[in-house]
Amino acid sequence: KDKSAASKDSAPEGAAKRQADGAETLKQQLLDIIGNMKVEVSYRKKLQQLKASESKKQALNKLEGPDSEGSLPQGTTEDTQRGKPLNPELVKAASAVASSLPRNQKQTESELLAQLRRHEETTDKQKKGGTINIRNVISEMTVKRQTPTHRNPRMSGRISLQLDEDGQRIRPGRSSAQSIDSRRSLKVGKRLNIFTKASTEPEHALKTVSSPTIWDLEFAKEVAAVTAQPPRNGFEEMIQWTKEGILWEFPVDNEVGMEDDAEFHEHIFLEKHLEGFPKEGPIRHFMELVICGLSKNPYLSVKQKVEHIEWFQKYFEEKKELLQEI
Amino acid sequence: PCPRQVRSYYVDWRMLRDLKRRKLAYEHADERLRINAIRKNSILPKELQEVADKEMAALPRDSCPVRIRNRCVLTSRPRGVKRHWRLSRIVFRHFADHAQMSGVQRAMW
Repeated sequence: KDKSAASKDSAPEGAAKRQADGAETLKQQLLDIIGNMKVEVSYRKKLQQLKASESKKQALNKLEGPDSEGSLPQGTTEDTQRGKPLNPELVKAASAVASSLPRNQKQTESELLAQLRRHEETTDKQKKGGTINIRNVISEMTVKRQTPTHRNPRMSGRISLQLDEDGQRIRPGRSSAQSIDSRRSLKVGKRLNIFTKASTEPEHALKTVSSPTIWDLEFAKEVAAVTAQPPRNGFEEMIQWTKEGILWEFPVDNEVGMEDDAEFHEHIFLEKHLEGFPKEGPIRHFMELVICGLSKNPYLSVKQKVEHIEWFQKYFEEKKELLQEI
Repeated sequence: PCPRQVRSYYVDWRMLRDLKRRKLAYEHADERLRINAIRKNSILPKELQEVADKEMAALPRDSCPVRIRNRCVLTSRPRGVKRHWRLSRIVFRHFADHAQMSGVQRAMW
């Protein structure tokens, strides 16, 4: 650990020799670390980093050796600027990554370290639980100073109708009031996080309702009759009519009430219904003409066409004896 | 079979009878169409067609659509009825003059 700490100290300084040695060990460590981390999802990466940092922090705290103490404050002075000690292993990983990348090593390293700092900050914040600073709350509020001099002309303006030459009201105080309101607008200011977002509760299991009793129906009817006020204007009248079905819904839908689920081939290719008939003879000829006519008929549904053909089938079966005589 | 008594108010009995004919014609429309298709045929044997003729005659007389008369809806007048409004000419004129017919105006050209 001494060597690694020493190498970590030297790496940001830029000593070439030690960097080479450190790079090899660092790369090994880096590979181990990256092997654990999943690069697919950045969120997961952060989580794992956080978990790793927490575990490593615990490990480091357990050590309590002079080396770690010596390394940490040096690390703080050199690497951090905000006073939060970074995990030395993560710093090692960052430096190794920076060395492996072809571009400017120092810049990448600094960027990576900045990222790590941010992660540390977020972990600390989450640990504390997002303290509700009263300062933040009070900072937005201002003491309302009553300006009696301003008020009086406004009040007088309200009570008495100050008519202009045109006959329109004078409201001189209005604009000032509006400007005051706009200054304290709703969207300005820090988020206080006092209220938790109302989570969409999962719908409770359907309450088993036995078939609505007559009393329930009557009650519902009564309620509807009482609440149904006569329409106040033409729009409400039209709404009522649309609900009843007297008025169509606009834009006009030509296919209201027409639900033809059958495809076109069921309308046209009706030969499969002709299986009950003899294959030759005048009856077959007749039925083929019937089918030809039905296939061209756009007004009947498939059901009706099938019924048509079945009626003929029945009819000819009844007359079979007659036909055999012929 | 006991025929239902007429409880609703129709202008006169002729109107009622016309209504009955319409109902029957609607019920037997499909059968009539199919039997006629067999009758007016040159392919099927003639014996079959004679049988179909007899069946046709066996249907109730009021089921044929020819017996329906487009009477006036309000006065049951058999003649002078405009199809679009189902009203006799007198009633139509009465309403149109009182501006109770939407989109109807006295012609002037």
